[in-house]
Amino acid sequence: MSNFAQFNEEEKDCLQELMNISYGSATAAIADIINKEATLSIPNIKTVTTKEFKDYLKEKLNVQKEYFITNQLISGSFCGETMFVIDRKSTENLALEFDLDEEEVKDDDELKDVILEISNIITSTTLSKLAGLIETSISFSPPQVEIVKNSEAFYRNYINEYDHIIIISTDIIFKEQNISGELLILSKDEATIFLKEALNKVLEEF
Amino acid sequence: MKFNDTVFNTIDNGIIILDENLNILAWNRWLEIRTNILKEKIENKNICKEFPYIDEKKLKRKVKAALVTKNPSYFNVDPHKHLIKIRINSINANYEFMQQDVTIVPYDLDRKIVCLYIYDKTALREINLKLERANKELIDLTNKDYLTKVYNRRYFNEYSEKALELAKRNKQDISIIAIDIDRFKKINDTYGHNVGDEVLIEVANIFKNSIRKSDIVARFGGEEFIILLINAKVDEATAIAEKMRVKIEDTIINVDDNEVDITASFGVATVNQESNETIETTLKRADDLLYIAKKHGRNEVVNSL
Repeated sequence: MSNFAQFNEEEKDCLQELMNISYGSATAAIADIINKEATLSIPNIKTVTTKEFKDYLKEKLNVQKEYFITNQLISGSFCGETMFVIDRKSTENLALEFDLDEEEVKDDDELKDVILEISNIITSTTLSKLAGLIETSISFSPPQVEIVKNSEAFYRNYINEYDHIIIISTDIIFKEQNISGELLILSKDEATIFLKEALNKVLEEF
Repeated sequence: MKFNDTVFNTIDNGIIILDENLNILAWNRWLEIRTNILKEKIENKNICKEFPYIDEKKLKRKVKAALVTKNPSYFNVDPHKHLIKIRINSINANYEFMQQDVTIVPYDLDRKIVCLYIYDKTALREINLKLERANKELIDLTNKDYLTKVYNRRYFNEYSEKALELAKRNKQDISIIAIDIDRFKKINDTYGHNVGDEVLIEVANIFKNSIRKSDIVARFGGEEFIILLINAKVDEATAIAEKMRVKIEDTIINVDDNEVDITASFGVATVNQESNETIETTLKRADDLLYIAKKHGRNEVVNSL
């Protein structure tokens, strides 16, 4: 594995702290938009190869479950993409939080819309805040969503796209409801180098 | 010349400017042409009152999301198809209305105003639809018998292994029915292959209409079919086979002035999971039982525990 794509402990701590602040904006936005209280766990940061990423996803995705997975491209100096992974049961519970009725919850198109909306809110608020903290600008493409029944077919796309991947993962948990999803931020080597430099600048200032 | 108006009215997208209560503050030329509604007629009116099919609650939430996050929110074409109904006039179109992606961006945060960009995604959706259809045809060609449209032996082998694994996990029974059309060679020799083909199609349709979604019918070759029944004990599978036998017996194929009577013989076996029996062995047992039915005089269902 290339050393370039790795963070040292200090950089990792700094990124974790910045992500914590950024997630604060996401939970505030969710509270404001749908009037629900969500918590985001302390982010877990690691750098993996594409092969290790496949194993990581394999461990995460239960073969017996169906998942809704969104992707959203990030452009700018810190470029890459985000993935939001949530199983069907959590998606249905989340849809109820969005005030969908029992009939609408059975409709996959309605569920897709809910997942697109929540992942867009979390991605755009979190990463805009992070970009502000490291003094850069980023923009987002519209998110895409797919229902994944066969996780093997899903992994293949990622193997071709990335050399190394930083995984910044966090669990999103809604109080009083059984909802748990995971947000993954994937970035390529050049974005990781940019992020390392930006983190070191922040570390020098404090 | 007002530069902003030129861009606003020449861009190849729909643009609507909305306040947080969903009142239309601006409506560009692209929309005027496609909807035949002039801006003078629609500005300062509520978008959901003018287009009652728009989900007001959802649009309000997405407008709020753009204003709160200070970032775009989206009305994706995949779940929504369209925001404003614009009829497509092409005779080749698969869609009645233009397929649209809509991006909602903050326009004036202090005055809580947003801008909606409407993109025409119809051509892309048409291509995707064609690809999906071609893909489905390819899968069918690989997995199904060209004549009867039931599954082929290759697919049966693949599916039955997975089905057995699942049945073991869920502690369910799995049964196999082996079927052979009686005196099929005589039908072919007497009436010709076209009639033989018609008999095969008719019988296959009876099988397809007699099973549940989770079960599958496969043509193993010639006049031999196999049915895999999920969560079915031997007596349940036998009852299904008996119903199919009667339906086939009651079916008459008309050829010119002749009526062709058809019957079929059935062998039913259930996978013995206690002795770790494989699908292959159960198939062999079902086939042996079918042979006994033939020996007994045909048009019969024979089972075994």
